[in-house]
Amino acid sequence: MRRNRLGLAVSTAAISVLATACVGSTESGATDDPEARTTITFWHGWTAPAEVKAIDANIARFEKKHPNITVKVVSGINDEKLNQALRAGGSKGPDVVSSFTTANVGKFCSSGAFADLGPFIEKSKLDLKKTFSQPLLDYSQFEGKRCALPLLSDAYGLYYNKDAFKEAGIEKPPRTWEEFDKAAVKLTKAKGDSYERLGFMPNYHGYETVPSHYMSQWSPTYFTKDGKSNIAKDPAFKEMYTWQRGLVEKLGGYAKLEKYQKTFGDEWGAKHPFHTGQVAMQLDGEWRLGMAEDADPGFEIGVAPLPVPKDQIDSYGKGYLSGTIMGIAPASEKQNAAWELVKYMTTDTDAVVRFANAIKNVPSTKAALKSPDLEFDPRFKTFLDIAQHPDSNTSDGAVNGITYQMSLQNFGYEVEKGAVRDIQAGLEKTAAEIDTDIAQAK
Amino acid sequence: MTRTTVLRWVGVHAIGVAAALFFLLPFVFVLLTSLMSDQQALTRDLTPNTWEWGNYAKVFDTPGFLTWWKNSLLYAGLGTLLTVVSSIPVAYALAKFRFRGRRLSLMLVVSMMMLPPQVVIIPMYLFWVKQLDLGGTLWPLIIPMAFGDAFSIFLLRQFLLTIPDEYLDSARVDGCGEFRALIKVVLPMAKPGIAAVALFQFFYCWNDYFGPQIYASENPGAWTLSYGLESFKGAHHTDWNLTMAATVLVMAPVIVLFFFAQKAFVEGVTLTGVKG
Amino acid sequence: MTTYTLRAKRRRSALRTAAFLSPWLVGFGVFFAYPLLSTVYFSFMKYDGFGAPTWNGTANWSYVFGSYTMFWPALRNTLWLVLVMVTCRVAFGLGIGLLITKIKTGTGVFRTLFYLPYLAPPVAATLAFVFLLNPGTGPVNSALESLGIAAPGWFNEPGWSKPALTMLAVWGIGDLMVIFMAALLDVPKEQYEAAELDGANSWQRFRFVTLPNISPIVLFAVVTGVIQTMQYYTQPIVASKVASGIIGGSGQQFEPGYPEKSTLTLPQLVYNLGFQRFDYGSACVVALVLFTLAMACTALLMRRRGGLVGAGER
Repeated sequence: MRRNRLGLAVSTAAISVLATACVGSTESGATDDPEARTTITFWHGWTAPAEVKAIDANIARFEKKHPNITVKVVSGINDEKLNQALRAGGSKGPDVVSSFTTANVGKFCSSGAFADLGPFIEKSKLDLKKTFSQPLLDYSQFEGKRCALPLLSDAYGLYYNKDAFKEAGIEKPPRTWEEFDKAAVKLTKAKGDSYERLGFMPNYHGYETVPSHYMSQWSPTYFTKDGKSNIAKDPAFKEMYTWQRGLVEKLGGYAKLEKYQKTFGDEWGAKHPFHTGQVAMQLDGEWRLGMAEDADPGFEIGVAPLPVPKDQIDSYGKGYLSGTIMGIAPASEKQNAAWELVKYMTTDTDAVVRFANAIKNVPSTKAALKSPDLEFDPRFKTFLDIAQHPDSNTSDGAVNGITYQMSLQNFGYEVEKGAVRDIQAGLEKTAAEIDTDIAQAK
Repeated sequence: MTRTTVLRWVGVHAIGVAAALFFLLPFVFVLLTSLMSDQQALTRDLTPNTWEWGNYAKVFDTPGFLTWWKNSLLYAGLGTLLTVVSSIPVAYALAKFRFRGRRLSLMLVVSMMMLPPQVVIIPMYLFWVKQLDLGGTLWPLIIPMAFGDAFSIFLLRQFLLTIPDEYLDSARVDGCGEFRALIKVVLPMAKPGIAAVALFQFFYCWNDYFGPQIYASENPGAWTLSYGLESFKGAHHTDWNLTMAATVLVMAPVIVLFFFAQKAFVEGVTLTGVKG
Repeated sequence: MTTYTLRAKRRRSALRTAAFLSPWLVGFGVFFAYPLLSTVYFSFMKYDGFGAPTWNGTANWSYVFGSYTMFWPALRNTLWLVLVMVTCRVAFGLGIGLLITKIKTGTGVFRTLFYLPYLAPPVAATLAFVFLLNPGTGPVNSALESLGIAAPGWFNEPGWSKPALTMLAVWGIGDLMVIFMAALLDVPKEQYEAAELDGANSWQRFRFVTLPNISPIVLFAVVTGVIQTMQYYTQPIVASKVASGIIGGSGQQFEPGYPEKSTLTLPQLVYNLGFQRFDYGSACVVALVLFTLAMACTALLMRRRGGLVGAGER
């Protein structure tokens, strides 16, 4: 009886229901006048004070060149917020957007979160092939749809504490993972039930030591041609997970490492464990060099490419590539003005060089890489070489963006603490998980 | 006093002190850590070597911290006001009017009260943000409060039930309309109940994390303290001293408010359970 | 009185009732009935926030129940929390309520101290607990280790993250304490005196006098506790963000549940699917599961004799 009346009330209310469907995205082919006086909003993810300052300086140069355009900058925007705001498409949303996560480009392009840049590129007669190198062009598009351009790039390598190397009697940076393991053990100094210094923090929670960054050293194939996960078929994955697990054990075991990790400072702050000498080697991007020197660590910093598996020794010198990408919000009503900013920041040689100098990133255009104004530490050349190495690679894009990498990472967490007996079986299960997630997102 | 009663007194109070320590110590540690230097906060020391009162100044100097305060006050203040104003007449009708569907209405109020906000968040989000373009603001959280809050209605009704009908009848005999009877007779008598509802709602808004996370995350200018506190931690990774100082500053207003209105609050909590 | 005026009077009174109820009637329609039905609609649609939703049949449902790797862990965690956290909270709340009725000196001070943690804003309280229980330098583990006890990793260890959350929940027991305290003071004194005359010891008095008298309140505490567990969101997500160190900014993406899905709850899945993966359809499926569970508990609450709705209908 009671239930019936409730049912009646609900179905009466049902009459008033409307579907909230709303067509949000507009096709590009903007009509706004880029010469008109206007204000555009630019969202970026940088948070370190020096980086925020550098981007503001870059914007100031742009505004000087385009006095009719004022740029409102919002910092510290991560991909989650970006995705949410682009879907909302509201009036307070951004016009120009950027992201650090190249793995999300697939999601940005396929969903239409980023506007198609094709018409703008055509209008400006921009020759992409002459401007950018191929890997950069690859990671800023998805299945032929170009919705982003690269804005500076990142190359990953190995940082090491030269003083600690000398002390441990290690002459040169390791080239294979076997040598690397030996060095990591040798560099480790115990203190009580913890460490005074750890050779290397292999755990996947250790900032940049995520599976995809390690994986590049094996030159893996993430997806088959028909878009299915390949991680159980390409032996590289099993090798990497097995190697990492082995190193965790050699250095004292998961629990002990994890506990030590809790004493580390912020990745983007002065007290990064590499700066403080808590770890002697660090897998990191080229930006670390500037940050580490700024923190005045009190030891000599060495840089090298990351080691490779023994059977791939002839490709030593390669590394993981990534970068910041920049695009235009499809809901923006000032897309032509927005394109001016994108074009300036990504292709103007002077802008790219000065920005690269300021935040110590690898410049993203061919012209900027050759520019005499590019000032850098001789050690920075290591990263420029990694960036240009033919075997350097990046993780593939997918329609659901970074989700498949979360699956790889979650599997890694289980492996590293020794909860997985059969890595191959685990990889097969993870591959199935990735396939269903992608099917659901399509 | 006999021996056993003395022993019992000692036993009960010893347990009382032990329990009090369990409830109090976390506050003490938070407070002590908030006064340490950043280096010391990473050690196992329990008391500060040097008392760094400047930590609190540093927290206030964090860009945005004052804005978060302002937003929290706006959300909690306006939200509470709207809730109270809109819930009183509904609660009054549910407590004192006889009409068909009263029981059903009451059941629906209770159902709404028990509904996790996440159940309807997708359509609500699309409604506020896509249709009304209110993303990046706190308005999607404040405006609904002008339409009655189920918990407040329920609590107020429970309270109004305790007011004898005779008072209302005498007001009606005096020729007052229901609305005047509500204003003149019921409201003054219901002050403790209203105070409890206002306090609960204020705390709910002040503590809300999910709402600002969904609607305001992309606009730091609209963050509240509860939401901003988390990102404060993100920006000060291992500076536990600063994070704990910020934590103290988020807890403080609520606790101060409590000391001013302790009685109303405890009565309110009692009301939620005992009248069953 | 003629029938005409009677009818007019009745109509006037109906109008009056409607006027008083109007804020809530609007609120009910716009913020409850409409979105609820809309949630059902979206659960059968494919929608990512761009373009228009398209019909997806039961694909979202089979994805959530069959392939979404976070769903079953979240349900299992909810069950764990219902069994352990709710039990602990009710037992502790009752214990502290009993204690406060026995304390004769400084009652006010004790009551305030016991009550205070309940007021701590959840984000702040969670941050404080992650700090207190951090495995490296937290005061709790320092104390445990100095006693020679192997200290757990709390929020960083899958087997200990829920017990840590339970400790946090037990700390904020103030609401239950007040409710139990009021109920305990309502137990008629004569019954205790009679029991004492019969020679009952204190356990027997509790078992045969106190408990039967307060059992409705215990049931109330259990059921509302279960409903709160369904809604459990802020504490686990903040704890896992802070303990994992991935809070935002930069390129890292946070996935709820750290460590290893051990802190997942259903509301977090709505967030993960709806606002991280932007699969609104599947998010609505989880929302409906959540709705069903919450309403089942509510029905239980309303069924009980003289229950919430019956209150005051004397």
